[in-house]
This record gives sequence, structure tokens and C-alpha cells, in this order.
Amino acid sequence: MDRFFYLTFDGLSRGAVYAAFALALVLIWRAARIVNFAQGAMAVAAVYVAYSVTGATGSYWLGFAAALVFGLLLGIAVEKAVMRFVDHSSPLNGVVVALGLVLITQGVLGMVYGNEYRPVTTPFRRDAFDVGGIALLSRYDVFVFAAVGAVVVALTLLFTRTAAGLRMRAAAFAPDVSRLLGVPVGGMLTLGWALAAAVGSLAGMLVVPTELGLHPTAMDVVFVSAFTAAVVGGLDSPIGAVTGGLIVGLLLSYVSGYLGATVAPMAVLLLLVVVLLGRPGGLFSSSKARLA
Amino acid sequence: MSTKTPVPELVLDQITVRFGGLVALDDVSLRVPAGRIVGVIGPNGAGKTTLFNVICGFVTPSAGQISLGGRSWKPRPHRLNRLGIARTLQGVGQFGGLTVLENVLVGARGFRSGEEPAGRGWPAGRARQSEQDALAALERCGVAEYAHAYPGTLPYAVRKRIELARALAARPRILMLDEPAGGLDTDEIHWLAGLIKTAGTTVLLVEHHMDLVMSVCDEILVLDFGKPIALGTPAGIRANEKVTEAYLGTAA
Repeated sequence: MDRFFYLTFDGLSRGAVYAAFALALVLIWRAARIVNFAQGAMAVAAVYVAYSVTGATGSYWLGFAAALVFGLLLGIAVEKAVMRFVDHSSPLNGVVVALGLVLITQGVLGMVYGNEYRPVTTPFRRDAFDVGGIALLSRYDVFVFAAVGAVVVALTLLFTRTAAGLRMRAAAFAPDVSRLLGVPVGGMLTLGWALAAAVGSLAGMLVVPTELGLHPTAMDVVFVSAFTAAVVGGLDSPIGAVTGGLIVGLLLSYVSGYLGATVAPMAVLLLLVVVLLGRPGGLFSSSKARLA
Repeated sequence: MSTKTPVPELVLDQITVRFGGLVALDDVSLRVPAGRIVGVIGPNGAGKTTLFNVICGFVTPSAGQISLGGRSWKPRPHRLNRLGIARTLQGVGQFGGLTVLENVLVGARGFRSGEEPAGRGWPAGRARQSEQDALAALERCGVAEYAHAYPGTLPYAVRKRIELARALAARPRILMLDEPAGGLDTDEIHWLAGLIKTAGTTVLLVEHHMDLVMSVCDEILVLDFGKPIALGTPAGIRANEKVTEAYLGTAA
């Protein structure tokens, strides 16, 4: 039973990161109808920026802030310089361009930082507390929950309570009507990419220290899990992304805990297949009308 | 719904629009003076909606000038709202995933540049003002009770009214209505005529419903296959033989 509790909390902690990363994918999907396959590479770039800033200043938090700001700027740059010009007549176009971005980003990072794993620091200890003799959570897990929770709350408030959020939703639904109503649709799209890239960077900052270390391809496996999470929840649904993230996190944790770590990636793919066969729109799919 | 800033005059000067080989608008000129209600009529495919799209900046004319308030003007869709120009769409163009109130709020503005801020300058004060404006507009169109419903669940006539409310919530100085009577019954059209007459703004109206156009408009432009064939008062248009021939047929 101890093991079950431990695996559950560990799974939720990983799941929270997948949730944040899936949320970033959902943000862009809702705004631009593109699955941003470059999200992982963009997040790794932000973590490298944090690595450099932390290395130069000795402060984890300066690096953390730098990663988020860099993420925002990178999102703006990618949207304005690349994605804006992608022809949307076929969904594949956006995917191909995003994969191109992955190759370029990973190549440049490899050239600048080298292709070896680099150890990254965490701001809190990763040893689990004991509660009544059961190892449950580490301080770092608490930090992860708090950070992801703050992002979810902030995004919810943004989209439901502010004029900017309302305009972003409107622009995503019907760009031409929104323009007539005075919404700068291009600007809303850029804002969506910026927010998504910042959230992706946060997820990268949270997950990289728990993996092998910093490497240009460090987020590739995380991306697969987070993409699964987004699809499981329904690409259109932020709540679905969070739920999907937690489900995938728990699944990975239980499977690697009880069956062995080598089986875990297969479990994720199996989940993806089952959801796509049974409920292709995802668990939280709502809109039937919007197919494109 | 008083406006403190003067209503600019909208002038179209010899506008021509070509789509490939098709001439959608051929040398169309129209003056929309402040406070007047100007109608644009013509058979299907006459170029009425294209004319609206030119004014909204969705279509760039191949030739001709537009001016607003005496100055040469190049319309851009997302700037219209700021300039006090609101347009409704043919049919309904509401966001399915947003509530009625949210739909109206997208177009509502706490205040316009050049006007004194209606709410306090803070975003919260402005947001409250926008919400009041939106609710007032829904109230005025008799659909306030549906504020928290989703448009997809509502009857067509109600959605047409929401469309109007959304345009009014921007407190426009020029209101462009694209076939607002389409799909409405006689009572609804009677209500609509009353609303247009008391809108207190300049109105540019594209409409098929003759009784509505004739009863509310100060001036009417008649298009036929993109060509302007008549411009005048309702009485003048009624008596114009070219119009009768092209559009009204024996019914007139």
C-alpha cells in the first residue's frame, strides 16, 4: 500500500507537468488549429537559457524568470516569423514546419551547448517527506503542484474574466467576425503563441531536473506523453488537457512501478490508441461543429 | 446613446471592384451624410454585400476612393470598431462557444478614443462599463433574458436581435446593417424599422425587404449587376422606371 501511495503522488507530480505542457498545446490548437510539434524543442531552448543565466548569476530564480521571458519572446518570434506564413489548407503543413523548427532548434542548441547531458539544479530538495512512515511528496513536488496550479488558475481567469481572454476566444472562433468587432486577430494569435510557449517553458523547467538532465532532445519523450495527454483530454479542452495530463502521469507511474520502466512508453501509446479508437475527439470534446 | 464627437461623413467615390474578369462594382459613388439612413438595394448579385465589404476593408477596390470625415481613408476591419463603425452580417455570425453576453461584450467598448472615459480608466471600471453597455444593448433589442444562453440554442429571430445588440453595444456612429430583416416575420420587421429610425446614428442598410427600405430610408442607392442605376428618395426610386425594370418588376 505504501508503494501505491508513493506511485500515486509521483504520478500526479509528473502528471502536473504533462498537464502544463498539454495545456500549452491546447492553447495553440484552439487559437491556430496547429499542433505545435516544436513545443518540446522550444521549451528545451528556454531551459538552456535558464541554465546559462543560472550559471552566470548563481541564482536559480533569475534563470527561472529568464526561461519564462525567453519562452514568451520565442513564442512571439515563431508566430510572427514562421507560423503566420504557413498555408492552412492542409493540416500537415503546420506539422511539417513545426518539425523543421525542431530540427533547427535542436541543431543550434547542440552547436552552442554540445550534445551531452548537463546536470540542472532544482530550487527545492527532491527527497520525499515521510508522512506516518510513508514517503509521499518531496518539496520539489509541492513546488511543481503550486506552479502548475498557478498557471491553470491564471489561464482560467485570463480566459473567463478579462477582455483580452474574451477576444482571444472570439478570434479563435471566427476571425472575420472578430475583426469587424474590433479585435486585432493577428495580435491575439501572437499572444496565444507567446502564452503557450511560456507555459511550455515552465513545464520544461519543471520536468528537466527530474529526467536525465539537460540535452537538446530532453523534451522529446515528455512531448509524446504531453501530446497523448492533450489528445486524451480532447485537443479543444483546457480542462481535458489537465485531466489528460494527470491520467497519463498516473498511468506512467503505475506501469513503471509495477511492471517495469521499459513498458511505460508502450502503455502511453496503448492509451493513445484506445482513446483514438473509442473516443477520437478526446474525453472532454465538446464542439462537434468546429472540425477545421 | 448620445455621441459627443461629430459623426463623420462617409463618402465613396467611383469605387470599382473586379474579381478576376467579373466586375462586382462598377464606378459606384455614394455619400452617406451624418445622421441619415441610406439604403442600398438591388437584385441578388448586384454587389450590395461587396459594397459593404469594401467599406469594411475585407475587399480592396480596384479603383476609387473612400473618405471618412473629409479625409481619405483606407478601411481595415479591426479598426472599424474604434472609429465607431459597426456592421451586422447577413444571417447570423455569432460565436457558438461564447454566451450571448460574451458575444456582445467582444464588440462593446468601455469608451472610445476621443470620448471621456465612461467608466473609470482602470480596466475593472472599463469592464463594468462594457458589461453595462452590453446589457443595455440586449435590453434595447428585447433579448436581455437570453444573456447567459448560448446562441446555438436560440431561435433565429432572437439571434438576429442579438446580432443587432452586438452592433449597438459598440455605440456606433455609423451602423451598417446587412439584410437585418432576412428571415424575420412582419411583427419583427415592424420592430426593426422602429429600432432603425430611433437608432440616433447614421445607418447604412442593405435589404431585400422593400417595405422596410421604403419606410425607413432617407435616400436609396439602387445597384444592378454592380452598376449604380438610381440614387434618390424612396418616392423618387419608386417612380424610377429603370429601377422598376431592373428590380421591382411588375410587383411595383
